[in-house]
Amino acid sequence: MTATVTPVSVRRPTLRLWWIPLAIVIFYALVAVCGPLLLSYDPVDTPLADRLLPPGSATTSGSIAVFGTDSLGRDVFAQVVYGARTSMLIGLSTVAICCAVGVALGVLAGYFGKILDAVLGRFTDVLLAFPGIVLAIVVAGLFERSIGLVILALSLTGWISFARLARGSAVSFRSRDWVDAARVMGVSSGSIMLRHILPFVVGPVAALFTVEFGLIVLAEAGLSFLGIGLPASAVSWGQVIASGKEYLATAWWISAFPGIALAVLVLVVGLLGDQLSSRYQRGSTTR
Amino acid sequence: MFVKKRNRALGLAVPVAILIGLAGCAAEPAPVVPAEGGDLVAASPYATDSLDPHGPAGMASGTVLVAQEIFSRLVKANTSGEIVSDLAESWETNDTATEWTFALREDVVFSDGSPLTSADVVSSFNRVLELKGPVAGNFAGVTISSPDDLTVVFTSDKSEAALLGKLTVFFVTPADVTDSSFTEPVGSGPFVLDSFTPGSEVVLAPNEEYFDGAPLLDSLTFRVIPEVAARLTALQSGEVQVTWGVPDDQLPQLQSDPGLVVETVPSTSVATMWFNSSRPALSSAEVRNAIWQAVDFDTIIAALFPETGEAATSAVAENVFGFAAQSPKEYDPDAAKATLEDAGFDFSQTLQIQFSGATYRQFIQAIASDLAKIGVTAEPTEKESAVFLEDLLALNWDINFQALSTATFDAATNLGRLYPCAANRTGYCNDELDALLLEAGGTSDLEVRQEAYADAIEIIWDDAVGMYPMALKIAYASQSTVQGLDPDPSFLPEFSKVSVSQ
Repeated sequence: MTATVTPVSVRRPTLRLWWIPLAIVIFYALVAVCGPLLLSYDPVDTPLADRLLPPGSATTSGSIAVFGTDSLGRDVFAQVVYGARTSMLIGLSTVAICCAVGVALGVLAGYFGKILDAVLGRFTDVLLAFPGIVLAIVVAGLFERSIGLVILALSLTGWISFARLARGSAVSFRSRDWVDAARVMGVSSGSIMLRHILPFVVGPVAALFTVEFGLIVLAEAGLSFLGIGLPASAVSWGQVIASGKEYLATAWWISAFPGIALAVLVLVVGLLGDQLSSRYQRGSTTR
Repeated sequence: MFVKKRNRALGLAVPVAILIGLAGCAAEPAPVVPAEGGDLVAASPYATDSLDPHGPAGMASGTVLVAQEIFSRLVKANTSGEIVSDLAESWETNDTATEWTFALREDVVFSDGSPLTSADVVSSFNRVLELKGPVAGNFAGVTISSPDDLTVVFTSDKSEAALLGKLTVFFVTPADVTDSSFTEPVGSGPFVLDSFTPGSEVVLAPNEEYFDGAPLLDSLTFRVIPEVAARLTALQSGEVQVTWGVPDDQLPQLQSDPGLVVETVPSTSVATMWFNSSRPALSSAEVRNAIWQAVDFDTIIAALFPETGEAATSAVAENVFGFAAQSPKEYDPDAAKATLEDAGFDFSQTLQIQFSGATYRQFIQAIASDLAKIGVTAEPTEKESAVFLEDLLALNWDINFQALSTATFDAATNLGRLYPCAANRTGYCNDELDALLLEAGGTSDLEVRQEAYADAIEIIWDDAVGMYPMALKIAYASQSTVQGLDPDPSFLPEFSKVSVSQ
């Protein structure tokens, strides 16, 4: 027991600021949901007279471009806000799909074992042999651009880590006393998985959820940076960063602001994930 | 003709002063700085994957750029678009342009010392035809023969009025070349190959046997730096001495550098945006003209291409044979909208503007923005070049964007090849235009050809087969120590007369 107490006391100073990552993530979510309602932005409209204005300049339409304008005169601040919505939407949808598919398959494989487990294990091994981003590039490049396609492409390998985690937990829980007791009482397999195993998987999965979310947001920005996947009408941080890359020496603000937005989001989501996983790992060792 | 921007006063003064100082210490008295020697590294925008000018890469810019330094041609185009002598000393044709006779120079030897004769020309030409590469596409139905060692004759059943221009992409190699000869190519051009790393670097050394006098440089290197920002940094840091095809937004950064010389030269390229006339929505000339009228091209060009673009006045560039200026289309969105409404245009449809490559992405987005203002939805659709080409040929587009160049400096290449009904490249078909193009291609009489092309261009322009909004220029940037560089209008500069002062 002493071994588990020591890390808690070491972690205490960071605990006081534990709410910061959560607050920032909530702020991003608010911006993604409410920002576009308050701020209008049309990616098709290109006021050329306003092109490449530095941050804080007044545009010809009378408004102030807080983050400057891009090479076609469009407001960078509006692009960052609309890009937040795209990133959050794609990140959440993808991770939700991955989580649902991965946990379902993982629990089934872990609980029933045998052939199902072996087949799933080898299948995920094969999928893991391909780098996820390469697979996503191939899939996203093959079909007509759309948000749905990007979600599908990123989901292809994202579910594997959920499946492995859920399978591992299910394997250890299926031989616990309360599961055996339920089985003896004649409770159906479905109910056992749903009521006696799944609740214990939720904690670690929530931690993984945040970690995966950060990775997916980064992968989506990577695809958009390469010009793959999203249609031209969708605003994405990756696209904005790519469009500013030739102007780094003369108009740094085009790439810098969406870059900072992306970096901060991925960082805080990662911190949040660390907090969650350390909490649930501690939980599982003391149990 | 050239629009020059020179900031060299300071840049020259320093090296000259240093050179004079050095010359004082040297043993040989050399009070005037000779413009000779030097090692030049050119940052080429194109990768060179093969040195075989007859094969599958024969029309690729990267291959032609190096081939014109290593090999010679019968004729070549100078920087103002005139066809001038290279291996051929003189040439003549019959009235119907079905037979062309070329007299070769006497004194030409290959870099291995063997003489170049008509047998080499015949064999090279036949190899081009045998390989059926992109170069061979220019010479369908043309045969070659050689009555003696210094004469070659091209014959064809149909008229080949533009053969001279087409021959500027035909390079002469020794008669006995095979596909594997091009790792150590033997040619008769100003340079010989020193080393070659496909896709990244070509190093050339001067050919002392070159018939037009050995080049001044001690070595010439073409290095591929695809990323624009990296290319310009390399130029400013002195890692490379010359580059070209610099985008407009990067020019001010170079112009403010006192050590660099920036010049722009009109190219043979015209931004060409065909309408797919086989689509019902775009089948009428009124609708096509209205869409053209709805875009404020003057403002777009002034904002995005202030240095390297100007409003085009014809379907071909001014330096191309056959050019005829047309009256510009006035920007009038209200009239355009009224015309579209009268014509029953369906405003709910989306027109795709297909293009490939990032260079013109902003240009096309700005066009879509203007069209949106009159209620026409246009969607810029960027495609991979292979997919783009496939869809282009299959007429699988509404509006298509290309920067169409005329490498042969003759309207036959673009007008005669792309606009007849039989070619079916735009969905547009006009018997009158067909007759004019046939007439222009069927004679060697330059006046008749010029007149026929002028009439043809008028039809193409008035019927708005496409929009021709912008004539393109090429920006060349070099260190001010580079002397004698003549900016080429087709992105393929030659370096045989270039030197670098130390």
